[in-house]
Amino acid sequence: MAKEILKGIPVSAGIAIGKTYYLNRGENTSTIRMDIDKGHVPEEKNRLREAFSLALNDLEKIRKKIPRELKEQAAIIDSHIMLLKDRKFQNAAGDYIRKDMINAEWALEKAVSDIEKAFSRIEDEYIRERIQDVRLVADRVRSQLHGSPADPGTFTQRMILLAPDLSPADTIELQLDKIMAFATISGGKTSHAGIIARSLQIPAIVGVEGLNELRHGQFVILDGFNGKIIVEPGEDELAHYTELKYQFEEYQSQVNRNCHLPAETIDGYKIQVFANIELFEEVAAVIDNGGEGIGLYRTEYSFLNRDDLPTEEELFEEYRDLASIIYPHKLVIRTLDLGADKIASQFGPIREANPALGLRAIRFCRRHPGLFKMQLRAILRASAAGNISIMFPMISGMQELLEVKKMYHSVRSELKAGKVDFDPTMPMGIMVELPSAVLVADLLAREVDFFSIGTNDLIQYSLGIDRTNKHVSYLYQPLHPAILRSIKHVVDAGHEAGIEVSLCGEVASDPYCVPILMGMQIDSISLNPQAIPGIKRIVRQATMDECKELLKRVLESKDVQESNRLVREMIFTRFPEELMFYTSLIEE
Amino acid sequence: MDENNQEILVSLDSEFGLHARPAALLAREAQKFSSDIWLGFDGREVDAKSILDILTLAAPNGSTLRILARGSDAQDAVRHIRRLIMGRFEEKG
Repeated sequence: MAKEILKGIPVSAGIAIGKTYYLNRGENTSTIRMDIDKGHVPEEKNRLREAFSLALNDLEKIRKKIPRELKEQAAIIDSHIMLLKDRKFQNAAGDYIRKDMINAEWALEKAVSDIEKAFSRIEDEYIRERIQDVRLVADRVRSQLHGSPADPGTFTQRMILLAPDLSPADTIELQLDKIMAFATISGGKTSHAGIIARSLQIPAIVGVEGLNELRHGQFVILDGFNGKIIVEPGEDELAHYTELKYQFEEYQSQVNRNCHLPAETIDGYKIQVFANIELFEEVAAVIDNGGEGIGLYRTEYSFLNRDDLPTEEELFEEYRDLASIIYPHKLVIRTLDLGADKIASQFGPIREANPALGLRAIRFCRRHPGLFKMQLRAILRASAAGNISIMFPMISGMQELLEVKKMYHSVRSELKAGKVDFDPTMPMGIMVELPSAVLVADLLAREVDFFSIGTNDLIQYSLGIDRTNKHVSYLYQPLHPAILRSIKHVVDAGHEAGIEVSLCGEVASDPYCVPILMGMQIDSISLNPQAIPGIKRIVRQATMDECKELLKRVLESKDVQESNRLVREMIFTRFPEELMFYTSLIEE
Repeated sequence: MDENNQEILVSLDSEFGLHARPAALLAREAQKFSSDIWLGFDGREVDAKSILDILTLAAPNGSTLRILARGSDAQDAVRHIRRLIMGRFEEKG
């Protein structure tokens, strides 16, 4: 039997067995109050100033090292940098040095505690917890004051990292290849540690009570499936978890090994599996994970992160290079899918009470024809490569589609007149993501070469919920009968008109949903590259007959609970391993 | 109200309220203007150029914020800050 079992919230799957490394910046720097003479006040203030500036230098160095794909972390570090630059923070501590005639460490502590008091009044739990950001910044200053900044960067062997909290800066400084798992005291599902662990694919648990009782070098098992830390495990536990770890690793390596095989069912039905990407740099992940092309290239990134607009030449080169790297596989480029709220700076002030229902995607492009035509020219010019398709987002109905097509054809005519090379047979498709488009899918299908169903928005608009609103997010139910019927309707309408139908929402990466999509005989799915190997594996183990049978039964469900139950039953019986090692959008 | 003395109300639509990231974006935006700018909520007013001040305001989602600016570019300042808030701080970077 273990000496102790600690419990927390699992945020990244997997098992780690090994010794702990306890990272605590405050550990050797316990703060004590020291009274100082009036004459020492300037000296103490200097120490404080110096510590702030060293901490700032440190953080700016770390900021430069952050890769582009960790945008979220960069934003948080930016806010920490702003805090360090904020004279008020430093002055608040400085004032305490002068007023109370105390050492810089204690003054800093008092300044932080004032802020904590202000935060503790907040009802909203999430924002109350953001005091963490102030604390993390104060920790950096404190360790500079002590002249011995914590250096978590050097481990000699792979460790299980324990910490009160992990800031984004910590995780970037750490030698991540030496860490086999994380556990932290603070945090919930949205904490930085969880996001990073999942992207690194190492197990992690947050919100672990009693973690501070552990020491360096203790032997533990970290169970990232169930959120447990087993301290000094007994032989039976060790044997059980060693076996589970082995099974999981075996499973993962097998999944990855076979990811290049086609997604074909036992009875010979093939579905194509493409990748959704946003950044050029993700192409490598598409190929490595067995993606058969890019089913959705989000073009928004080049329009954000800057004060001016990209030029046609920049966009053309971006699309051309991407198409040539992925050649001969296909590249589906979606035209700008942004809301007016996102690139407001170039287009004057926007007042929209409901941006999700406002001037966005194709509507925004039609409002700004100059911008839209510039992107169309860039895509058309790049299409000369021969493997590009174009796709328009958020089409609501026939009239809108015909007007967009008119713009598209006028750009084609201009290019033709100018003797500019392009692919005259480039496939043109639309995203079906509005309930109105679903209902007239039969008409729309006659006007385009393919459909791609965007389930994230389709669910949001069909069920009338803003999925980022935590008060209603429980209604985000992919297996709601209305959603399943909508998808089925679009697939059937597309096939009736002889066009291919794809699906590119999160549903495509959900092992619980994919058998149903196959039952509908969808032609292809497009998902994040990391999820491709697992989904292909499920397809390869299924038969079309059972998928059709499941679909039939699920379509007869009267409510979402029944659909969920049916799907869970099937997955339980047929893919027990998937159930063990996967997470799903489908609630229990 | 003259041009150099502006005051508007805007409602905060940021899922988790004014936490570190939006506060940083807001302070950075305010720092671009020479006017003095304050942010008011719940009967208090703080310096909109200080991230720490903004954080101590601790405004949750749905709050009504008051933006006040005094100076030669006050009109531009309130306009830009309002746009940032109304755009749900989605200015990436």
